[in-house]
Amino acid sequence: MTDASVPLPGTPREVLSGLGELTRRVRAVQRDAWIPLLLFGLVTLGGVLVGRLTFQQTVVPCPGGPAAPGDTCTVMRQGSSVYWTTATLAAYAATAWWYLHRARRRGVGTPVRPYVLAGAAAVAALAVTTWWGASQPAPGADLDLWGLHLAADTRGTRLVQQFLGGAAAVGVPLLVLARIDRSRALALFALGYLLIELTPVTFGWWGAAAGPWSALSRHGVPALYLLTGALLFALANRRARPQAAA
Amino acid sequence: MSPAGTAGNAGNAVDDAAGQHPAKALDDTVHQRIRLGILAVAHQARRAEFGFLRTTLDLTAGNLGQHLTVLEKAALIAVEKGYEGRRPRTWITLTPAGERALRDEVAQLKRLIHQIETADAT
Repeated sequence: MTDASVPLPGTPREVLSGLGELTRRVRAVQRDAWIPLLLFGLVTLGGVLVGRLTFQQTVVPCPGGPAAPGDTCTVMRQGSSVYWTTATLAAYAATAWWYLHRARRRGVGTPVRPYVLAGAAAVAALAVTTWWGASQPAPGADLDLWGLHLAADTRGTRLVQQFLGGAAAVGVPLLVLARIDRSRALALFALGYLLIELTPVTFGWWGAAAGPWSALSRHGVPALYLLTGALLFALANRRARPQAAA
Repeated sequence: MSPAGTAGNAGNAVDDAAGQHPAKALDDTVHQRIRLGILAVAHQARRAEFGFLRTTLDLTAGNLGQHLTVLEKAALIAVEKGYEGRRPRTWITLTPAGERALRDEVAQLKRLIHQIETADAT
């Protein structure tokens, strides 16, 4: 081993290029985005099963509108706030542990703190939202959230509800992770995820529970997207690492 | 652009309008390529372990140790020794002066490239 192995040859341009190459090598060692993608993919997939197990139908007085007094409406509920809160929190804790553990083993630092903080804030938002959703007298009524009046069943209301689900809990922290990793690919992937979560698809597979397995269509697409992303990022990492070590 | 000389002998470039030629502003302690590599790796890694630096820069332990001593004496890095389990580990972090020195070095190199290109164009 000699000094010649350091990729910083003589000219200023070559020196700067060599510094860039070194930086890329270190980044390749620091990146591990496939882990949170895998964890959140599994958490989202688990949500399908939880949705099936928690599905229930109840009959409540209709909240208003054209129905005559005394008319009743059938409300279908599924999902568990406890599951989403604990599973998301556990996924962030596991991701933080993984990053710290791997960074220590590889001998590099990791700026994981902003991601963990974003994740904790997301979990708090998720918990408040699910608590707020559960405290509503009945679906179909207008909603008040922190002084924000949300008219029932409007596109804006649905967008807020969608954002305060997977988009806020998973998508936004993923953007933070992309910033930390300085990874354009991850940023684009996170934007794709946000698009999936926020696009008001109207062919009937999102929205209120319609059956015991309706969570499959609601969570299946994002889960598949996250798991596919985990696979692709893991493969990309494997390809980048030997080059980084070379 | 014609092949440029090393940072220290880009003789055909004119002096910077501000006065000093950028090549003269390069700090020898930082500009030495291995030490510059150490600073660059430590900057990106935030905290780099001795073994990681040795592997990444492909150096012998003795060679790396010498350069780390120079950087530590210049207060550009902080060296922290400890254990992970039973294994002794040495961690290197950039000091604020080290961060500044790396930033200045990169800025001077960019100025130097600009001057060489400007001189070539005229």
